[in-house]
Amino acid sequence: MASAELNLLVDKLNLQVKSFQEGFEVLSNSKNLTDLARNFSHILRGNLLSINVNIFYKEQSEKDWRALYLHNKEAIKFTYELKPENILKINFLTDNNYKVAITLPMINSSYFGLLIGQKIDKKEYSSFDRVSIQIFLQLLDNAYQAYLNNKKEKELIFSLNNRVLQLNSLIDTGIELSALDKTESLLELALERAVVLTNASAGCITVYENDNIIKYLSFPPGIEENDLKESTNKLNTEFSLLGKTYKFILIEKESRAGVIEFDDTDKILLEAFARQLESAIENEHLHKEALEKENIKKELSVASDIQKKIIPEKLPEIDGYDLAGINIPSKEVGGDYYDCIELNDGRYALIMADVAGKGVPAALLVSTLNASLKSYLDLQIPLDKLAQKINSIIYNASPSNKFITFFIAVLNPKNGELDIINAGHNPALLLRNNGVLQKINAGGVALGMFNMGLPFVGEKITLNSADRLLLFTDGIPEAMNENEEEYSDERLEEFIEKYQFPKSSELIDALVHDVKSHTRECPQSDDITALYLIKH
Amino acid sequence: MISDFKLNSEIKGNMLIISTEGYINNNGGQKIADEFYSKKTNDIKKVILNLEKTKVVNSIGISFLIELIEKLNESNGKLVFTNLDASIDKTFTIMGLYHFAEKTDTVEQALGAG
Repeated sequence: MASAELNLLVDKLNLQVKSFQEGFEVLSNSKNLTDLARNFSHILRGNLLSINVNIFYKEQSEKDWRALYLHNKEAIKFTYELKPENILKINFLTDNNYKVAITLPMINSSYFGLLIGQKIDKKEYSSFDRVSIQIFLQLLDNAYQAYLNNKKEKELIFSLNNRVLQLNSLIDTGIELSALDKTESLLELALERAVVLTNASAGCITVYENDNIIKYLSFPPGIEENDLKESTNKLNTEFSLLGKTYKFILIEKESRAGVIEFDDTDKILLEAFARQLESAIENEHLHKEALEKENIKKELSVASDIQKKIIPEKLPEIDGYDLAGINIPSKEVGGDYYDCIELNDGRYALIMADVAGKGVPAALLVSTLNASLKSYLDLQIPLDKLAQKINSIIYNASPSNKFITFFIAVLNPKNGELDIINAGHNPALLLRNNGVLQKINAGGVALGMFNMGLPFVGEKITLNSADRLLLFTDGIPEAMNENEEEYSDERLEEFIEKYQFPKSSELIDALVHDVKSHTRECPQSDDITALYLIKH
Repeated sequence: MISDFKLNSEIKGNMLIISTEGYINNNGGQKIADEFYSKKTNDIKKVILNLEKTKVVNSIGISFLIELIEKLNESNGKLVFTNLDASIDKTFTIMGLYHFAEKTDTVEQALGAG
């Protein structure tokens, strides 16, 4: 080879090397496959001095060629010259517009196809050109691998970010669920997050109680449960809590290629959301329960305060008589009331009452009774009229299910005369000094039950020396033991007949002791209230 | 696929405003992309995505948004998100969308943003 020719070849080779380096840089920076094809077409055209370079792509051997970059739209008609095989095929054609047909198999089973037109100078492609084509194809192969790696890197970053998002949402959802206090909001949030983070296209929660559907929610809203149940691509989970069963269904896991199967991560995510929901519902229930208990506790405390203020701390001393009383409130605070009020004419009103119900409403009604009595008693109106007035007041002050059983005995201490009204209360027990026990039933219906002017019929009796009178509420005869057996009226009557302590307070103490010995460990379900009067 | 997704759009100069409603999943993402490609994409320099009535986006929906960002960036355009729900804002932050796209509180701010 002549020296000039050799120098030309060296220059040409140097130029090619520089072109390869620049070409690789350009190709590596391609934004996408089309960009890669366009850049490669320009590089090849510039180096081979070809009229046109057209580039096609085939994802898999059985798919059609797709034009990535065309210098000549007619080139698409000649893709039959491109024959995908497992090895590089470079065919130099002679009988059509395109002089070179190349099929280049790629690493991911795809193919590049190139149709290269004739050279600008219309000469045949030289040996040097043929070598250059081989080298440039290697360049394309490397750039494509770099493109694939770049794409994989993007997918990996996306996938990692998505995992972080799932984890973050799981934590956030747990916090948000714990801040919500309505079951419906809890269900909505848990369902929405489960659908979104598993890439489901829709989902629902159905809540069952005794096999009946009591709640149904879907996301997106408005989708029928049957539409979801019929899907062949779904993910389920469920849990049972406080007598209810919560069933999740997610359907149609999405991908860019269409619906795909839910995977293990989706199952773990859905179950995690279900557990968070279960925990939130349980916490909500416990919170409500604690609030209710706290409210009851406060109400009982108020009721207890009212009752303590009304029940007399000390009973008046009545000359010639011995009087003692007791009120042991039950845990729930009942509506028992007793009192002995000294009237301005020297008489004494012995009072025993029991409000139907417990808590603050009962205590307030007792308070109303107490105030009414104190207002009317000094007016010295007949007891039957007083009972009617108080009945009207209680009727108007109480709801329909509230009434008061009421016993009043106005004692004239000088002559032992008792003026009595019993409005639906337990009969008082009068033990005569000869050992005869009398029950005093006189009266009418309980106060506050009707407001129709029904009469209250009174009774007058006279106490003799050593006569004894017991007023009490139903908390004594109805006190129950663990076998649900009542203390009973009979046992009370026997006790009163049997024990005649010299002091009223001793009788009261002994009676309470006897009742407690009957009930033993059983909690006291009602107030125990009694008033005992002995005439000396 | 089940979907509650809806959108409407308007063009103001070289800006395309797309307002969405409902779950941006595969279907929602595809509809946003279709809306963009149905316009003369080379003339559009800014796409404003008003998400006021969208509360959730899944990762398939996000992949469509990333494609839209890439497409716009190729022609020196940009995507601006507006009226973002707090949970979507956090989602986009974690997924890295704000490296390549912007956000504003309102459409008006997005229209005025450089």
